[in-house]
Amino acid sequence: MKKIIISDPTLRDGSHAINHQLTKEQVSKYCSAIDKSGVSIVEVGHGNGIGASSIQVGLSKEFDIALLESARENLKEAKLCVHCIPGFATIKKDIKPALDAGVDIVRCACHCTEADITRNHISYVREQGYQAYGVLMMAHMAPIDVLVGEAIKMESYGAEAIIIMDSAGAFLPDKVQQLFTSLCDNLNVHVGYHGHNNLGMGVGNAIIAANSGATILDGSARCFGAGAGNTQLEILVPVLEKLGYTTGIDLYKLLDAVDFISEEFKSSIPTVNSLNIVSGLSGVFSGFTKHVLRISKEYNVDPRDVFFRLGKRGVVAGQEDLIIEEAHNLSQEKIGKAT
Amino acid sequence: MNSKQIDMIREDCSLVFSNPEKFELLKNESILITGGTGFMGSWLCESISYLNDVHNYRTKITVVARDTDKFYEEKPHLAKRDDISLINKDVLDIIEIPNNISFVIHAAGTPDNRVHLSYPLEVINTIAKGTMRVLDACTRLPNLKKVINISSGLVYGAQPSEIERISEDFISGPDSAKSTSAYAEAKRMGETISSVYMGQFRIPLINLRPFAFIGPYQLIDKPWAINNFINDAINGGPIKILGNEKTIRSYMYPSDMAYWILTVLCHGSSGLILNIGSSESYSLWEVANIINNSISNETLTITSTLNRKTNNSIFVPDVEKAKNEFGLVLTVSLKKAINRTCRWLTIR
Repeated sequence: MKKIIISDPTLRDGSHAINHQLTKEQVSKYCSAIDKSGVSIVEVGHGNGIGASSIQVGLSKEFDIALLESARENLKEAKLCVHCIPGFATIKKDIKPALDAGVDIVRCACHCTEADITRNHISYVREQGYQAYGVLMMAHMAPIDVLVGEAIKMESYGAEAIIIMDSAGAFLPDKVQQLFTSLCDNLNVHVGYHGHNNLGMGVGNAIIAANSGATILDGSARCFGAGAGNTQLEILVPVLEKLGYTTGIDLYKLLDAVDFISEEFKSSIPTVNSLNIVSGLSGVFSGFTKHVLRISKEYNVDPRDVFFRLGKRGVVAGQEDLIIEEAHNLSQEKIGKAT
Repeated sequence: MNSKQIDMIREDCSLVFSNPEKFELLKNESILITGGTGFMGSWLCESISYLNDVHNYRTKITVVARDTDKFYEEKPHLAKRDDISLINKDVLDIIEIPNNISFVIHAAGTPDNRVHLSYPLEVINTIAKGTMRVLDACTRLPNLKKVINISSGLVYGAQPSEIERISEDFISGPDSAKSTSAYAEAKRMGETISSVYMGQFRIPLINLRPFAFIGPYQLIDKPWAINNFINDAINGGPIKILGNEKTIRSYMYPSDMAYWILTVLCHGSSGLILNIGSSESYSLWEVANIINNSISNETLTITSTLNRKTNNSIFVPDVEKAKNEFGLVLTVSLKKAINRTCRWLTIR
């Protein structure tokens, strides 16, 4: 039976859903519960990764290190993992303290066409004897051959796995199948999939990825993640088991951990609403949703129009300021039409 | 670098250069080495310094490199020697070579595949144009006796699985339509450029095709399997084999590498093409086991992490030509090479 490594980004991607207001107590309780289930990897921190707490993408309630220390104390079996986007995160300021705090895996992420910027970060982590993964975000924005080329670069830098991140939940099964088949043909390391649910494809695409060679799958409790949320962990695991894969996860203990998320964050559990669907269709990062909604209201424009405009411009995370620009343009056009 | 590490390298040189009369052609000559501060260049400097110190060769070395300050910092025992002079210059900026130079070893160009993949155009530029720059300058040398162009075993392209060892007469090549072939294709172009300079300017030139090495001066952060294994082992393990454990490689110890290069520099004829490396092939699993035993840490474990099938590539040279034409053999086994490398990295 093929073994699938389950990586749980609930306490990282889910941070987007609560404007990065995660507390040490919440981290402790969830880590303690999920550790008992047998999940292999638990990701913790600001939604945009370590060092990302900022006015532009949102200030964290707690320092990164405080969250990581709480997680470390409660993870006895699972590996502790951080998301790390070079630029937000620097080696000296963020990665080194994170490793000192007990992090096992650093997932070095970048826009899917810019693997070059992860070289120093991946190399540093490997040189220190820790595990480094490469993450290609917004993967729907690049053709398959480009993604494979960028993944090969990350492998050459020392990445022990390449994770494909469908940040906008825009992937459809055919592309997932072609992409993972091609990645597995060209790489000698693990390949993984991180899905979002904008078009309802979270679990489906993860299964297609596994069938095409992926060995690491991300899933969040109750989809707790940016925008429409991630692949739903507590559905993904039993479906994989039914299909003959092994995950090493105890379903009841997993469901216990999921119940904590349901209770603790009941007002913030992601749903696939109209805006999320538009986000997926326009190929814009799910994490933009809250900002688009707020700014559209301010400029009195239809947020769905804003999403499609942003999609046409090919915006990526970090370009949140363009939301204001497009909302402003739309409002001006509206005034022009009215007069 | 500490004095014990320097002593170890000196000991390696004394073992391999036990017949110094073989290199008499180099006595009182001046050798220019491009890329002379890297792994290969440093070993050539060590070897010639040894011949100077122990056998009174009085051979002068001129090292051309982009960062000679780093050379001073990391290898002051070489950089401060009277018989070694440094020129801080990119190979692309070479116009003139000192007139007294009689031998040139063109070794510029990093073999680090992280750089090849991140900066393919710069890699092509450095190798192709850099080779032309050096050879242009060579055409103006009044006493030029020989040039060695350090090419690469990668010019053969992917080694077919049915060929255990690849020989110099094997004609193939990398996939030219892929940007990942930038380094290998540039090295092929470097050989073609060399051939043109041989024909058009009568430059006496030899192309060497190095394969894989392991030994002192090789940084263990380099993205090659054996380096990672040693790094894992020194850090207490486990040794992680990424990808296919049946991948086949061979490794040469750098004192042998330097001995082979200097032998060919003295005795090789213009137009020669020669593989440099070890023909003793090992799977990555075997390499990891040798390293594990070398470190002698009972808690060390070896993990092969991938659970899907991948291609097991081969990269092993046929070195019969080196043996038959120059009597070149391997004097350091892989086990000994790994032992000495681990000791060199940890000795204080």
